[in-house]
Amino acid sequence: MTTVQGSAIAFQERAGHRKAMDGTRNFALPILIVLVFIVASISVPQFLTFETIRAILLATSITGIMAAGMTAITLSGNLFSLGVTSSVVLSGVLFLWTTNATGSIFVGALAAILVALALGLGQGFIVGLGLNPVVVTLGAGAVIYGSTAMMTGGEVVQAETREAGRFATFAVADIPLPVLVLVAFTAVAWFLTERTTIGRDVHLVGWNRDTAKNSGISYMGTTIWAFLIFSVAIGVAAVMQVSQTLQVQADNFPELTMNVVAAVLIGGTAVSGGDGSPVKSVIGALFIATTAQIMVLAGVEQGTRLFVLGVVVVVLVITLHLLRRAGSR
Amino acid sequence: MSSVRAWFTRYALQLIVLAIVIASMYVLYPEFRVQSSIERLIPLGVIAAGLAVTMIAGEFDLSIASMAALAGAITVVLSGHGLITALLIAIAACTLMGMLQGWAIATLGINSLVFTVGTLVLIRGLTWLVCGGLAISIDDFTASDIFYSRFASLSPGSLTALCILVGLGVFLSRTRWGRELYALGSARQEAIAAGVSYRRGMVVAFGISAACGAVGGGLTSALSGSAAPSALESMLVLGIAAALVGGVSIAGGRGTMVNVFLGFAIISTLSAGLAGMGAKAFVSQFYIGIFLLAIVLAEYFIARVGEHGHRNRMKQQVEARQPEPAAPGPATPVAR
Repeated sequence: MTTVQGSAIAFQERAGHRKAMDGTRNFALPILIVLVFIVASISVPQFLTFETIRAILLATSITGIMAAGMTAITLSGNLFSLGVTSSVVLSGVLFLWTTNATGSIFVGALAAILVALALGLGQGFIVGLGLNPVVVTLGAGAVIYGSTAMMTGGEVVQAETREAGRFATFAVADIPLPVLVLVAFTAVAWFLTERTTIGRDVHLVGWNRDTAKNSGISYMGTTIWAFLIFSVAIGVAAVMQVSQTLQVQADNFPELTMNVVAAVLIGGTAVSGGDGSPVKSVIGALFIATTAQIMVLAGVEQGTRLFVLGVVVVVLVITLHLLRRAGSR
Repeated sequence: MSSVRAWFTRYALQLIVLAIVIASMYVLYPEFRVQSSIERLIPLGVIAAGLAVTMIAGEFDLSIASMAALAGAITVVLSGHGLITALLIAIAACTLMGMLQGWAIATLGINSLVFTVGTLVLIRGLTWLVCGGLAISIDDFTASDIFYSRFASLSPGSLTALCILVGLGVFLSRTRWGRELYALGSARQEAIAAGVSYRRGMVVAFGISAACGAVGGGLTSALSGSAAPSALESMLVLGIAAALVGGVSIAGGRGTMVNVFLGFAIISTLSAGLAGMGAKAFVSQFYIGIFLLAIVLAEYFIARVGEHGHRNRMKQQVEARQPEPAAPGPATPVAR
């Protein structure tokens, strides 16, 4: 009897300990962002202005949308996609071409999302067979990059009308559209992964693939769903990005892939799958954008910025890993 | 004789693909020379070898291309002290960083893919700092001349790379530490239970990976006499493609330096041939991507078919051993 009580107490203690660790893990990054904001607004002069905040949010919106989408893949236990950049560029090219041809940005956006969905379907299918997602997305990325460059001849694709920039310039109460889209997309991604059957399947497949299979959940189907959610994010982000630049070339945006992967990782979604949330990844993207913007304002040069970003990613990833390990004990 | 045959069956898929690629290059582009593809051992061949070593140990080193760029930058910056000295310092420094990385991965028990995504960015940033954010070049233009001499129609760079590949092959297949990497890659828990040191394995694997990256990057910079902060970025994809196309398993525990060399030969023949025909770099990227996907899919289906065949044979054997499983007769009633 005493041993039962003893183990029950030990269990409760362990549960309490785990809760504390999980709490630290969930709130570490938001608290860190708040701290960074406070320190920056005191020490960096032009930080707390409308323009700076707007720039941070705009930078967050592109990586944030994709990080929220990528979270679905990571949750399903399929690590991450390393072919982000090339898919974004291809979707962007399709957006500009269709917009130039039809004169309607909505048809253009639809084309961009559709092509991203087709690419995601193909990659999701191959990964769903059981092949390594990193290799498949790297290979697919090379193919997509190559075909985009061949289709455009390596030239810059320009928007022929100013109309194409409407998505970037449109604003509601001074909040630019990309930021609103980020909020909406994150909400949808959160709802899909947390509150729908598909989302719960994604979690379970990532958490324990064998159990999921034995429960009658299709690994192939779930993986394809995860890739499709990610593909919508790619299409939407591509439209937002290209509306800002109004032109795109095959080797544009090389840093996107790493930024998105870094956002997911420092957001705290487990690479082993099953544990995480799109909201966390967006917070990760916000953190990256904030630190980058502060360093730009402080006049730090690009090399140092990259170095600091690397240090931040390594330190946060190690911290999260140790917290998770302590929590599971 | 049977060992020769076993060797050919083992590398059959890669040998056939290589033969087809070389043949089609000669048909499409008669001036094609195999030698021009061998000359790409620096940096592609050694980087693929480094990636293969970590893959064999069941890990993944995404930071290798950044490491190569860093070694190149260090080589150029220190070239005032003599090019060879600078090269050796760069390789030594990068190897130490790689060993540290392996130690950290083992001590923390962290997923190497996650850890090296971080160090990929970090080391690239370090390269920017070493370069000062600009493309830099060696002051003494004649310093790199010795790398353009020829030994038996091979450049010193390619010769070094070949030596590294052979050396690594011997290390992996003939030494205890090398065999331990295979053990850690194919059955980690069992290997650790049997007394293989996980930490030493990681330090060795990531040290070798970083050293290979550094040799590739350092020699590239020594040859061209220049380094740039964003150099060699595409080497990660190409190196992974070469290792996997060659037949190194990403799941760990399977693959040899022969696999690496065959994979390298396929990828470099493809890109050398296409470059010779005047195709732009993105065209060869396209074909390399196709190759990578095709090979992993082919291996997947071959494994599936093999497994299926194996199961069928097992079934036949079982049926042969029990000649009349459903024979009618005074069978004992089955207990329920």
